[in-house]
Amino acid sequence: MFDALQRIINQLQGSIFETAIQPVLFQLGLMDWSEDVFDGIEFALYGALAVIVAYGLCRPLELWAPVESWEERRAVRTDIVYTLIHRVGVVPAILFLLLAPIGVFIDSSLRFDGYIPPEIEQMVTPLFNHPFATFVVYMVVLDLGEYWRHRLQHRLPWWWALHSLHHDQRQMTLWSDDRNHILDDVLALVWSGTLAMLIDVPPGEYPLVLIGFRLIESLSHTNVRLSFGRIGSTVLVGPQFHRVHHSIEHADAPFARSRGCNFAVILPIWDVIFGTRRRAETFPSTGVASLTGPAIRCGYLKHQWEGFRRLFAALAHLIDRRRAGFVAALPAE
Amino acid sequence: MVLNSDDDTMSVINADTYKEVSRIHIGRGPHHLIESPDRHTLVIAMSGSNELALIDRTTGVEKEHVTASDPYQIGYSPDSKWFVAASLRLDRIDVYDGKTLELVHRLPAATMPSHIAFSADSKTVFVTLQGTNSLTSIDLASGKVNWTVDVGPTPAGVITRPSGTLLVGIMGANYIVEVDPSNGNVTRKITTGNGAHNFLASPDGKTLYVTNRVAGTVSALNADTLEIENTLPAPGGPDDMAMSPDGQELWVTGRWHAWVDVIELASGTLKTTVPVGRSPHGIFVY
Repeated sequence: MFDALQRIINQLQGSIFETAIQPVLFQLGLMDWSEDVFDGIEFALYGALAVIVAYGLCRPLELWAPVESWEERRAVRTDIVYTLIHRVGVVPAILFLLLAPIGVFIDSSLRFDGYIPPEIEQMVTPLFNHPFATFVVYMVVLDLGEYWRHRLQHRLPWWWALHSLHHDQRQMTLWSDDRNHILDDVLALVWSGTLAMLIDVPPGEYPLVLIGFRLIESLSHTNVRLSFGRIGSTVLVGPQFHRVHHSIEHADAPFARSRGCNFAVILPIWDVIFGTRRRAETFPSTGVASLTGPAIRCGYLKHQWEGFRRLFAALAHLIDRRRAGFVAALPAE
Repeated sequence: MVLNSDDDTMSVINADTYKEVSRIHIGRGPHHLIESPDRHTLVIAMSGSNELALIDRTTGVEKEHVTASDPYQIGYSPDSKWFVAASLRLDRIDVYDGKTLELVHRLPAATMPSHIAFSADSKTVFVTLQGTNSLTSIDLASGKVNWTVDVGPTPAGVITRPSGTLLVGIMGANYIVEVDPSNGNVTRKITTGNGAHNFLASPDGKTLYVTNRVAGTVSALNADTLEIENTLPAPGGPDDMAMSPDGQELWVTGRWHAWVDVIELASGTLKTTVPVGRSPHGIFVY
């Protein structure tokens, strides 16, 4: 089934590229970009597929047993715009075109000096000829990286200023995963892209890895009264586990010092190992207590601008401690 | 055998039934393959996993893996003394000893070194530089650049004619150019089709085939006069070519549609397409 699906995606990718994109590249004298753009179309198509699958899987859950119901859903519509822009095309395409040359430069410099990143199959030889098992290993390693990126997003004031855009949503739904500032997305891509380069994730598999993450993240943000239970919540991040992370009260003791809990993206085991797991079978309200009003219930562009405002305030505070900064949005220690 | 560069696999196709009989995980980023000078071995370049796979041509059994940093396009000089690998992603050209495969020269090459051709006397290698619209000539013994000249937008395939002149496919345009190997001067342009990409000479040397990536065609040229004799359909982003052993069919990888076009030369028609893995690139028929 997966092969058939992949074949359909690839034929669609080929048709779009051959009939709509390649002629434009040819006319603009950009044929040396053809393979990169061709790969980018696949990235966008898988992104669209991830959105469709996430909607098909998670929306029925939200209708079945919602944690919260709202009459006014403007904030949710903003998250839908976030998803369409950030997941399907525009933002990934821009980030890909801007960051890929930097990645190639670093990679080429290292290889020119004789550093060839080790392949996981070479280090763990039983994985050779088992691409799915290798894929799982990549996911686990990258998930550990995501756990620590997420810790830093909450720990560093300037990064929290950006990440607070993700957390200020009080109507958390399956669409909320992509509610991120574009600079935060750049940092995320640099972070995971660097790690992927260090462990030599094949460029062709990187979109699949990202899509795997995104599907699980859509589920974990879903507005559903669903818990994987005591054991299940140690195996896979689910809606209840992640809702506790988004809790408007998540700065409560004993987690105040680390500014949060339940940071894992896919595997909750990281929270268990690093002592940030919070066991709770509750479905708390979400948001950041100090952030209210139009700043959080606004459209995409205004919300992005709000992110810049918070970042500049946080940076100004770092430079001059007398300035107010973004401390109002930080959980109290 | 077809190398699926985005799938890290090699498809084996039965040329009688036009069916893929197996798809083997071969290594990261397999792009091109060539025969060894003694014709006993197929050398597969895998740019992503930084290695060459040496496959027994008769049995298909892998004999050896050799480390080589980012080999993309590869080639042996006619006298087998040199083995050259173009690293498209990392902007350099590596010259190896043809017998031991030990690195002799590593040359920066701005940018995107792509296809390779050798002079008949094995003293010079010519490499297209896609990113800077140029062709470069390198003295193999010294590793010194003889010349680098502009030949047209996004040059791709390059081939040495029996007369010694070079032909270069200009992928960013609709023509190929003939180049004087002594100084790089372009002496002639021949219009083939949009996205002129790569070359294959027929076994009898009478016909020269040119893939036109954007047009989705293959131009058949008189190898002596370079006049177009026929234009063949090759949908799907035609790239590398191989001739069937009986010389009746031209097999062409279709990069954008994960298939191989099989063209019947007698009728000049597309006989069939054979589904393979993603982004099929190098092909070898035997």
